[in-house]
Amino acid sequence: MITLRGLTKRFGSTVAVDALTVDIAPGRVTGFLGPNGAGKSTTMRMILGLDRPTAGQALVGGRAYRELRRPLHEVGALLDARAIHPARSGRAHLRAMAHSNGIPTRRVDEVLDTVGLDGRAAAKPGRTLSLGMGQRLGIAGALLGDPPVLMFDEPVNGLDPDGVRWVRQLMRSLADEGRTIFVSSHLMSEMQLTADQLVVIGRGRLLADEPIGEVIARSTVAVRVRSPHPDGLAALAARLTAAGASVEAADRNELTVTGATADQVGDLAHELGVRLHELSAHAASLEQAFMELTADSVEYAGGPTGGGAR
Amino acid sequence: MSTSTRHGAVAAEWTKLSSVRSTWWTALAGLLVMAASAGQLAIYAANDNTNDDPTDDRGIVTVGSVLIDSVELTQYVVLALGLLAITAEFTSGTIRTTLQCTPSRGRVLLAKAAVAGAVTFALGLLLGGVGALVARPVLGEWGSAPAADTVGDIVAVATYLALIGVLALGLGAALRSAVLTLTVLLATLMIVPLSLQEPDIDVLNRIADVFPGVAGGHFLAGDTEPYPPLVGLLLLAGWAGAALLLGRAALRRRDA
Repeated sequence: MITLRGLTKRFGSTVAVDALTVDIAPGRVTGFLGPNGAGKSTTMRMILGLDRPTAGQALVGGRAYRELRRPLHEVGALLDARAIHPARSGRAHLRAMAHSNGIPTRRVDEVLDTVGLDGRAAAKPGRTLSLGMGQRLGIAGALLGDPPVLMFDEPVNGLDPDGVRWVRQLMRSLADEGRTIFVSSHLMSEMQLTADQLVVIGRGRLLADEPIGEVIARSTVAVRVRSPHPDGLAALAARLTAAGASVEAADRNELTVTGATADQVGDLAHELGVRLHELSAHAASLEQAFMELTADSVEYAGGPTGGGAR
Repeated sequence: MSTSTRHGAVAAEWTKLSSVRSTWWTALAGLLVMAASAGQLAIYAANDNTNDDPTDDRGIVTVGSVLIDSVELTQYVVLALGLLAITAEFTSGTIRTTLQCTPSRGRVLLAKAAVAGAVTFALGLLLGGVGALVARPVLGEWGSAPAADTVGDIVAVATYLALIGVLALGLGAALRSAVLTLTVLLATLMIVPLSLQEPDIDVLNRIADVFPGVAGGHFLAGDTEPYPPLVGLLLLAGWAGAALLLGRAALRRRDA
């Protein structure tokens, strides 16, 4: 269980994380989503006691990270896969971590095995590790203390499709064991496949905290209309707009309608005698839902005072 | 805090230091610099001697004094061990992993100080032994090596180097950058005190005597003026302790 209470981080006049209050519950995968610079990594660093909150608190299992005696048994985290000494082998990196928390060194071989790094790869110096191998090593480090809470910052970055599928299964099985899994990603399609719950932030503010299905369901369903008669289509668009729907013309022969159901559009077309070649409803993907949720925060960043999107 | 957590942090730091090749290259470089420096100073000591009669004891140089003079140069290689133990963590980003494993900033720095101090002390003993072995034959008839005194000098050299190593570690934790730390160390150990001593004004000399390198030098030489050797040792230890406190404050205050 991760508890954030009014968690705030300011860097000078910039507010990176703005009064974030969220509970991240055990037994499920919670996706942490937001545009670049939304404050995801800063939030994770505050949970790990690396950055000091300006206000509020971040608790893990009810305690502040800096108070934990053997934190690797409480929280495992993958923050930055490239954070390994260029000359140190992956195995030595993990051995040092194990020593610091009184973890037996045979556990190092276990987690190396779990993440699929063989003896040869684990003996290579850090500078020669690929990003994918670095990710696997970072995940091995997170698993070292067999912790009930795991955090991953962009874990599938640099992994091949096999690796991506493996990470997906790993997070699923860790959540099924009752652990708290908190994973950030900019790959919204990835979240759709792995996350049960979504925490969405934009410009440091909480935008949504709800089951992934609701995020999608709440977002707009679009209706696509195609017709060989541009004039009829224009008349249809005028009627739909008058009825309060919003209409976008993709080209002369196609409309995208939101705010009306396919049934309503079909009835109206029949009434006007417009011949249709297509009438289809499109459920919004998580990607669209995400764009809608964060649209304001992104727009705001590009507003009159700002120097473009951050 | 349990002792095992403390031991764990020390074991982790030893694993980190010993698992990178640069540590061993630095130690080897220290040995070479010591051997070269001791050899050169011993040649100077033997050649500069204008006393015609080596048996009358005037002009005879102890091996220990050659060692002590050799430390002036060798220390810059040795302090790199203390320095890199922390600055390499900032450069590579592993400081975040280290603080994730051991959230107590004081504990991390103490563990690093214990390892850096022990390693530089052990290396100091080795350097002292090598320096003595090189200096003795070069000095020839102009040298002497009373066993007890030489061993005492070697232990003093090792103690000095260990404290300088810890000083470098603490400063590195506060300043983060290896180059910046080395610059500050060079200024503190050599440039500033030398500049102070240059005009030979009493009050400036006394200020220079408080600087870590000068204080350590008085300790090594066993000087009784301007203060007893023990005071020199305590001054140097005070600098090392202050640097650790500064480093801890910086680690606590700043975001990693």
